[in-house]
Amino acid sequence: MASVYKSLSKTAGQKDEAPTNGIKKNKQRVLILSSRGITYRHRHLLNDLASLLPHGRKDAKLDTKSKLYQLNELAELYNCNNVFFFEARKGKDLYLWMSKAPNGPTVKFHMQNLHTMEELHFTGNCLKGSRPILSFDATFDSEPHLRLLKELFLHIFGVPKGARKSKPFIDHVMGFTLADGKVWIRNYQISETEKALNPAAEEGSAKKEKNKETEVSLVEIGPRFVLTPIVIQEGSFGGPIIYENKEFVSPNQVRSEIRLKKAGRYNARAEQGIERLAKKGELGLRSTGGRVMPKDALDTAELFA
Amino acid sequence: MVTKSKLKMALVAEQGVDFKKLNQKKQQKLARKEKKGKSAAEGEWEDVEAEGEEDDGESADEEEVEGESDDEAEKPKEIDFAGIDESDSESSDDEGEGIEGDGASDDEDDEDIPMSDLEDLDDEEKEDMIPHQRLTINNTAALTAALKRIALPISKLPFSEHQSITTSEPVKIEDVSDDLNRELAFYAQSLSAVQEARGLFKKEGVPFTRPTDYFAEMVKADEHMAKIKAKLIDEAAGKKASADARKQRDLKKFGKQVQVAKLQERQKETKQTMDKIKLLKRKRQGADTDTTNEADLFDVALEEETKPSRGDRENRPNKRAKKDAKFGHGGKKRFGKSGDAASTGDIRGFSSRKMKGQTKTRPGKARRAGARK
Repeated sequence: MASVYKSLSKTAGQKDEAPTNGIKKNKQRVLILSSRGITYRHRHLLNDLASLLPHGRKDAKLDTKSKLYQLNELAELYNCNNVFFFEARKGKDLYLWMSKAPNGPTVKFHMQNLHTMEELHFTGNCLKGSRPILSFDATFDSEPHLRLLKELFLHIFGVPKGARKSKPFIDHVMGFTLADGKVWIRNYQISETEKALNPAAEEGSAKKEKNKETEVSLVEIGPRFVLTPIVIQEGSFGGPIIYENKEFVSPNQVRSEIRLKKAGRYNARAEQGIERLAKKGELGLRSTGGRVMPKDALDTAELFA
Repeated sequence: MVTKSKLKMALVAEQGVDFKKLNQKKQQKLARKEKKGKSAAEGEWEDVEAEGEEDDGESADEEEVEGESDDEAEKPKEIDFAGIDESDSESSDDEGEGIEGDGASDDEDDEDIPMSDLEDLDDEEKEDMIPHQRLTINNTAALTAALKRIALPISKLPFSEHQSITTSEPVKIEDVSDDLNRELAFYAQSLSAVQEARGLFKKEGVPFTRPTDYFAEMVKADEHMAKIKAKLIDEAAGKKASADARKQRDLKKFGKQVQVAKLQERQKETKQTMDKIKLLKRKRQGADTDTTNEADLFDVALEEETKPSRGDRENRPNKRAKKDAKFGHGGKKRFGKSGDAASTGDIRGFSSRKMKGQTKTRPGKARRAGARK
């Protein structure tokens, strides 16, 4: 086994020397950590992602939520040029910060619909530390802020070649899709199966011939989550805001709206009660207050006085 | 703390950069920033801007020191700063908004309610809310500058270096809440990427498929996979069990029907035999003379079946006749028990001795005298 790895890595090492002339090498290290107050699901998700990122460095929970610039120092301490930070609020909302450590930019996402590997029960599996293929939706190239997001995903989720714990084979793919103004992230295993023995049916595609008679299918591994970009800052955890998502509705707002809706219902009901009282008073049906009806000549009190 | 390649360190030494100093400077700046964060928002804005410029200037220096930045990256930065400043001042005029990370912007979230979300509310429910439009900030120039600063030269890198594939056409999902189609779109996107990537890997001679005898730690540990397997098996077993139970239930229902049908059939059979017997009887009554022949003519089974029933019928006491005799049937029923001339004249049962009350058992005189002694 070791010999296989050696032979493979040797060939990879020879190739490495070619692109060094002038072109920057893809060298990434990610600091992975969370704030305090995350729930177990958030923590499990973080662990799942950390297991998928061999170039990541997991650190203990950050104590503060207001002084996030401390993360820059932390990243420097660990030689990381990317920060992947989970910020939990109110023990239920999860925000994800992704930053290029010393100089920015920083993106803040709201994370929703998160499902960890454990609770999804998908049958897919992949090598720990194998480098994923990153599949991006073409929509990412349509706008500058989306391009920036794509670049950040590429740096953080893409495992650089020759990363310390990376494995030489490619057996999973990460999909980043933009839909409904959100980034949907999926992780699939690439499972190759021997092609079914009817070459007549699939003769047409030239690609398959190239693929040495194996058919590719995907099996989901997990985790799943959806990210809503909220804000992009120019610096790393600081600096001016260069993008803000207008469509983002904070979960606090959603909750408060629900509360206010209920309050509105109460107000309407209270108003109705007052109206009814007024109406009764108007008809002279109330014992105190309201309009006093003129005495009728045929009233019993008048007749038998 | 500062770990860089030897070459870089040499370069740094030549330029006389002190990392400690740089760090100190940075920390001082952060402290300053913090202080200012507490002061008024507008004041802060200008400061931050100024600092931002400082920051960038410094970072550019650092990059030079690291020898990573190339001339291409620096040029657009200068151009873009103007754009940043303009847009910043615009946005800050509109709304005194804190930029400092999370706290300020989140507190604001509590107050902000976009108009679009309020449209579906009733008027009465609206009255308590303070509608507040969130401002759009989309500083394109700054975004592109930031992108340029960090972007990997993907076009120049070999594919195996970055392994990213962008679809040729944007993925369209009509309804995001339609789970099946949405996931299908994601799957198709990833699958196409894999197929494309495989070709590229092959071209570059990078190993793609894991050999079957290559074992290494997996993302999901064995016990996790065992759990998944157990769950799958459980699910399958549950499905099977429920199917079996349904089958059984159906069978039960059907079985009842079968039972009823069987009973009916049996009844029908007995009826048929009875009919046969009756027919036989009638035939016998019609031709009494050739009884001996008839016994031969029929099967033994029939004989057996008919025999006991015949015996029963003939030996049975005629209940009706008896009852008629006792309670009367037809004719005069009154005075049936009263005496008439004939019965009065009938003295068959008359005895004078009996009338006198003497019994025959009285012994003679001598015997009586002898008994006295």
